[in-house]
Amino acid sequence: GHPSLVKALSQVYERVCGRKIDPLTDILVTVGAYGSLFSTIQALIEEGDEVIIIEPFYDCYEPMVKMAGAKPVFVPLRYKNDGSSASSADWVELANKFNSKTKAIILNTPHNPVGKVFSREELQVIADLCIKHDTLCISDEVYEWLVYKGKKHVKIATLPGMWERTITIGSAGKTYSVTGWKLGWAIGPQNLIKHLQVVHQNTLYTCPTPLQEALAQAFWIDYKRMDDPDCYFYSLSRELESKRDRMAQLLQEVGLKPVIPDGGYFMIVDVSPLNVDLSDVDEKQPYDYKFVKWMITSKKLSAIPLSAFCSPETKRQFEKYIRFCFIKKDSTLDAAEVILKNWNKQTA
Amino acid sequence: MLRRAGLSLRHFLLERKSNAGYSSYSSEAKMSRPVQARRLEGIDKNIWVEFVKLADTYATVNLGQGFPNFPPPDFLKEAFARALGGEDHALHQYTRAFGHPPLVKILAQFFGKLLGRELDPMTDVMVTVGAYQALFCCFQAFVDEGDEVIVIEPFFDCYETMVKMAGGTPVFVPLRAKAPKDGKLMSSADWQLDPAELASKFNKRTKAIVLNSPNNPLGKVFSRGELQLIADLCVKHDVLCISDEVYEWLVYDGKEHIRIASLQGMWDRTVIVGSAGKTFSATGWKVGWAMGPNRLLQHLRTVHQNSVYHCATAAQEAVAQGFQREFTLYGKPDSYFVQLPKELQQKRDWLVQSLDAAGMKPIVPEGTYFLVADISAFKSDVPDVPNSDESYDSRFAKWMVKNKGLAAIPLSAFCCEAHKSNYNHLIRFCFAKEEATLKAANEILQKWKQEKTS
Repeated sequence: GHPSLVKALSQVYERVCGRKIDPLTDILVTVGAYGSLFSTIQALIEEGDEVIIIEPFYDCYEPMVKMAGAKPVFVPLRYKNDGSSASSADWVELANKFNSKTKAIILNTPHNPVGKVFSREELQVIADLCIKHDTLCISDEVYEWLVYKGKKHVKIATLPGMWERTITIGSAGKTYSVTGWKLGWAIGPQNLIKHLQVVHQNTLYTCPTPLQEALAQAFWIDYKRMDDPDCYFYSLSRELESKRDRMAQLLQEVGLKPVIPDGGYFMIVDVSPLNVDLSDVDEKQPYDYKFVKWMITSKKLSAIPLSAFCSPETKRQFEKYIRFCFIKKDSTLDAAEVILKNWNKQTA
Repeated sequence: MLRRAGLSLRHFLLERKSNAGYSSYSSEAKMSRPVQARRLEGIDKNIWVEFVKLADTYATVNLGQGFPNFPPPDFLKEAFARALGGEDHALHQYTRAFGHPPLVKILAQFFGKLLGRELDPMTDVMVTVGAYQALFCCFQAFVDEGDEVIVIEPFFDCYETMVKMAGGTPVFVPLRAKAPKDGKLMSSADWQLDPAELASKFNKRTKAIVLNSPNNPLGKVFSRGELQLIADLCVKHDVLCISDEVYEWLVYDGKEHIRIASLQGMWDRTVIVGSAGKTFSATGWKVGWAMGPNRLLQHLRTVHQNSVYHCATAAQEAVAQGFQREFTLYGKPDSYFVQLPKELQQKRDWLVQSLDAAGMKPIVPEGTYFLVADISAFKSDVPDVPNSDESYDSRFAKWMVKNKGLAAIPLSAFCCEAHKSNYNHLIRFCFAKEEATLKAANEILQKWKQEKTS
C-alpha cells in the first residue's frame, strides 16, 4: 500500500481498535474490499477446509471459497417476528457447524443485505467458537461507519483472543461513497497479513497510486476530526439514517413491512402482501427473481432478489424478499415514492 | 421465517461463564496449525520488494524498477483530472465489471484495425488492474495441476510464480546469445531460441506458452520468422499462447512489432495482454487489458469476477480518451505512440554510450525501455564469494547501489533457480528516465571507471 495511505489507515484504526497497528506489516491495500476478501481466502483457505458463511450473504463469499477449493458451510440468520426487527443466528445450529475442518468463519457486520449490526454479545459467542475450534475470522466490515441511532459497531478483532485470528476488511468505496475507486484494505496481525501480501504480489502487485494518495489525504482530514460531528464517517451516517427512514415509510405506505436495518445502506422487505401472481412465469426461478424482473419492466423500479444472497438449500426460505438500496439522492427517492404511491392505483 | 431462533444468546453466555477453565481466555490465543494455503509454497519471495527498498534507501540514480520518471503526457493527465473533478459523478462509482464501455469500445476499435479483424468490445476485450492482473487471470483460467507452461528465459519474473500458484509446472527454454559480428556491440537480436530445443519442450502436458515481445529484460523484438516458429508449434500441439505485449509501442530502429495473434491459426488460441502503464507512461494507474476470442476470454471473466470484479472507473475513462486521441492521430508525427519511442530511442543510445565508455558491455535492445549490460569488467570491485547462496549479479547490484548510488536489477531475477549462474554477469538498467537522470548515471559510471584505471 502507498505509504501515506497505510500510515493514515494505521492511525485511524489504532484509535478505533485501541491497539498499535504497524502500517507496513499489519495492513494491505487491495482493489476494493472485494480484493481483500480474495487475497484473504486465497492466502488462508484451501482444499479440505470448511468455511462457515452466515446466510443471507454477500454473494461473492461462496464462489471465492469454492475457487480456493474449500467447502462453504451455511448457517442462516432467522427472523424473529417479535415486533423488533432483529434477525438472529440459531446459536446451537452455529456451534454445530464448527468441526475440526473449519478453517474460518466469514462475518459481515453491518450486514448486507439484512442490515443487522451484530451486538457485542453475539460477537462474543462467535469469538468463543473461533477460539475453541482454533478458527480464523474473516470480518467484512465495509459498512462499519454506517450504523444508525441506538446501535454501535463492534470490531470482533478487539475481543480477547481475536486479534491474532482475525482479518478485518474495510472499503474506501463505502466509507467515502466512491465505489468506483476500488480501494479497500485488510488489517490484521503480521503473521496472517504476510500471506495476503504474498497473494497480492502474485496477483496484481500494486493498486493505483493517485487514488491511494487522494484517499490518504481524505483520511488525514477525517482523522483529525474524529471527535467532531462533521467528520465524514459520522455525517454520512446521519444523512443515510433519514433516507433509511424515508425508504421505510414509502414501503409501509404500500402496505409492506420492511426490515428496518440498523446499519448499512440496504433494506429488505417481504413483498408477498402485494400479491403479485407470477405463477404463469417460469416456475424454476425463485419468486423474488421473477418479481424483480416484473417490477423492473412494469414499474421501472429496480431492486435485487434476496435469493441471490442464499445457498441453493435456503433460496426458498427467502424468496419473498427483495433488497432496496437507499443511498440515493433525494430526487431518486422522490421518484421511487411516485412509483410506490401509484402502485396500488394500477393493481386495484 | 417465524421459527423460534433456537436457544437464546443468554443461554450461551451463561454457558460460557461456567467454562472459565478455558485456556482460550488468554489473550495469547494463536493459530496452532499451519495457517497459510499450500498454493503459496515457493512463491513468497519477491525480488522487487527487496530491490525497491534498497533503491529507496541508497540510490541517487535509480535505473532499477521499470517505470518512467518523466510525467505522462498532458492530454492524459488532463483527462484523469476531468474524470475525477467533472460533473459526471457516476465516474466515482462502479462501472461495468469487465471494462468501462468507452474503454473497451475504443480498444476493440483500435486493436481490431491493427489485427485486421472485427473485435466485439463486450466479449473479446477485458479490462484488468494492470497487465499483471490480466496475466493472473490467464494462468488461473487456463492452468491446472498437471499442466506445463513453457516460459522463455529470461522472463518477467511473475510468469514463474503465477504458473506455480495455479498448480502448474513452468518449463524453461532459454534465449541463447550468439556472438556479435566483430567490433559490434551485441544486440538483443543476437539472443535467439534454438528451434530444436524449443520443439523438444512441447509435449501432451503443455497447456500454454508465454511469449513476451518486446521482451523484458533483454529488449528483444521477436521477428516474424521467430513468431512463426512458435506459432507452428502451438498449432501442432494445440497449445495456448499468452502474449505479453505491454511494450508494443517501444520498438526502435524502424523495427516492427508483430502480433502473434495475426499469424495463421493463432487468433483462436491467443490471449493478448496490454498495458496503459507502459503505453502512456502511467504505471501507477494500473489499467491493463486482455484481448482474444470469446471462448478464451469468458474464462478470464470468471476469474476476474471472483477476484477483483471491477477496476477503477475514472482511470479507465481517462485511458479511453487517451486512446481516442491516438486513434485519430495514428501514424502521424503528433501521435504519442510515434513520439515516445523516438524519445526513448535517444535515451537508449545515451545509456549505451555511457555503459560502453565505462567498460560495461551493453546489449543494445531492439525494444522496451530496458537494457542489459555485462559487468564482467567490474568484477574486481566485488569479489566472488565461493559457495554463496546468492547469485553474483545480485550481490553486485546490491554493492553497486550501496556504494555507487546507482540502482539496477540483477538478471538472475529473470530466470529460474537452476539457470541463475548463466546470467550472473548481467544486470538490467531502465532508461525511461529524464535526461538529467541519465546524465547523472553517466557521471557515476565514468567516475567509477576512472577510479579503476587510476
